[in-house]
Amino acid sequence: MLLDDASRAKFAAIADRLIPASGKMPAASSASVQHAMLDLALQSRPDLTEDFTRGLAACSADAPSQSINALFREDRTGFNAVNLIAVAAYYMTDEVRDLIGYPGQESPAYDPHETPDYLVDGTLERVVRRGPLYRPTPRG
Amino acid sequence: MSGKTGGARRDEPVDVLIVGAGPSGAVAARYLAAAGLSVVALEQGHWPDAADFPGRKREFELAAQKRWHPNPNVRDLPRDYPVETSASDINPLMYAAVGGSTTLYAGHWTPFLPSDFRVKTLDGIADDWPFTYEDLLPSLEEIEREVGVSGLPGNPAYPPQRAFPTPPLPIGKAGRKAVEGLDKLGWHWWPGTNAMPSVPYNGLNPCVRRGTCMTGCPEGAKSTVNITFWPHAIRSGARLITGARVREIEVNDQGLATGAVYIDENGRERRQRAAVVIVCANGIGTPRLLLLSKSKRFPDGLANRSGMVGKRLMMHPFSAVLGVFEDELDGWMGPFGQLVESFEFYETDASRGFMRGAKWGAMPGGGPLGVTSFVGSQIFSAGEGGMVEDVWGENLHKLVARRFNHCLVYGIIGEDLPEESNQVVLDPELTDSDGVPAPKLLYKVSQNSHDMLRFHVARCTEAVEAAGAIETVVVHQVRDTGWHLLGSCRMGEDAATSVVDQWGRSHDVPNLYIFDGSTFPTSGGVNPTATIMSVALRQVRRLIAQRHLQEAA
Repeated sequence: MLLDDASRAKFAAIADRLIPASGKMPAASSASVQHAMLDLALQSRPDLTEDFTRGLAACSADAPSQSINALFREDRTGFNAVNLIAVAAYYMTDEVRDLIGYPGQESPAYDPHETPDYLVDGTLERVVRRGPLYRPTPRG
Repeated sequence: MSGKTGGARRDEPVDVLIVGAGPSGAVAARYLAAAGLSVVALEQGHWPDAADFPGRKREFELAAQKRWHPNPNVRDLPRDYPVETSASDINPLMYAAVGGSTTLYAGHWTPFLPSDFRVKTLDGIADDWPFTYEDLLPSLEEIEREVGVSGLPGNPAYPPQRAFPTPPLPIGKAGRKAVEGLDKLGWHWWPGTNAMPSVPYNGLNPCVRRGTCMTGCPEGAKSTVNITFWPHAIRSGARLITGARVREIEVNDQGLATGAVYIDENGRERRQRAAVVIVCANGIGTPRLLLLSKSKRFPDGLANRSGMVGKRLMMHPFSAVLGVFEDELDGWMGPFGQLVESFEFYETDASRGFMRGAKWGAMPGGGPLGVTSFVGSQIFSAGEGGMVEDVWGENLHKLVARRFNHCLVYGIIGEDLPEESNQVVLDPELTDSDGVPAPKLLYKVSQNSHDMLRFHVARCTEAVEAAGAIETVVVHQVRDTGWHLLGSCRMGEDAATSVVDQWGRSHDVPNLYIFDGSTFPTSGGVNPTATIMSVALRQVRRLIAQRHLQEAA
């Protein structure tokens, strides 16, 4: 899906109503949600294209608050598509991930043969000492 | 059966036809082919490609909500069949592929307990199984070696058994937090047992804790039968045909199954003949296929003289409790997967006001998009007249700051008792992409399940509060959680009240077998894959041992 500059600017204005600047967190447009991450979000969810396009078309860059609230009231599906794409794009940006401490789904090294803490600090031993919980198969 | 070694050409009659290439179908194929029988399996899906799984991609969380969603009605892919759910309290979850629904499962490895096989004797409800935990144990231990289970032996929730083949996965900070609460309360816990090896094993890579198990494992580390069983079966001569949607099992004048009619990828109708047919299409797909296979001899559906085909569907109603903590818990790290499990309230205590119990699995909280839509439910909703900015805006930042990396989630799986009114039937209008009638579910969550989940939610809440939770969130009876499709072709020794015997053989059609979870008389309160595979192994071993006595078309 190809978006022109005007549509991206409108999306940025709408996204800023949903995700404003707050404390250390940037507003959606400052995190550049309207560029590469918008494209990536739409690319990964082609099923949302129609609802997103309709929802964005119903919004106005000149009256973002008024139009996003109208969209919420009148076309919830369109609102949900615009909203999900905005939020997803925001949390996919490097800047936002750095700020919230999210490296993405990573694969940290670990030693499977290392003795876990719970085996040496007595925590699991307390479970074992309380004895079996299961009810055995009745005989006869 | 001829016992002629495999390698059958297309449409050539074979000893055994298997419908479905998920866990039970794979077990059957591997052992039958190794025993020298010619085997063809028909699978409506395709081989999964780990490169397609989104777990290594930035957009992973977004893709998880559609293309990789476990609900076939949400995915809406051509290989899926739709399920009519307007009369069901729970949506069924499944995946069409070699490996079946385990492609997207969380890999919790929790075999049924001794009491699960004796609920009538112990608790006076439902039915006992035709065999016991001890009868099944040798098969379970063998399956665990093949699956590459990771875990720590000695769990007092279970009788002693052989150790797991690979060491337990790290429980991580979130698991440790769960343990804090359970330890304080003096309640049972054990490091999670998972179908994910911690070291390289049987074609599997070790789990690297990527935490994307439920959208397919891009590391090739989650144990699924496309990796652990099918390659062995194919090397032994089994033939697996993908993109093959079976629409009918045919029978001859003697009432014996002769094979199946299927639609191939090009839309052509084909026929695979076989001496024996084994259906492994899950608790919805199996009764659907039997109900589709009507004939003069079987006007109510194949193997349905008891009228029990499709009845007693059990889907494990599920609730979840999320605990939010001050500490950082590495909430995106796997396994996802259970970090810690608890069976403290698994066994029946009638004073609680319900029968049977539930297992808890502690899992990490997930990524930032996940915490904005906990277990699929939208957190924010602007009331009539409210402003969108008031409920999103600042609130989104606050919510993510508070919850992301600070959560653990308890998933509660409660035993679902069998009721004949909970059924799989054929929908009169809805069809799959090949025009085959789709299944419809008639399913209501029972009062026993309501009461059980309420009790367990309250105890889980105590557990996270004891661990220091500063906020708890409960999602009661999550709709999109019908992972465990059980009971709809019940096994039993009485042909008047059951579909198959304990060996999976149909009472009505002596060369028709069912090896999947649809045969379970009761559902336990645990994730069933370990038991499904173990029961299939026990059954296929018997079929192989008795093959010279097998009646065939």
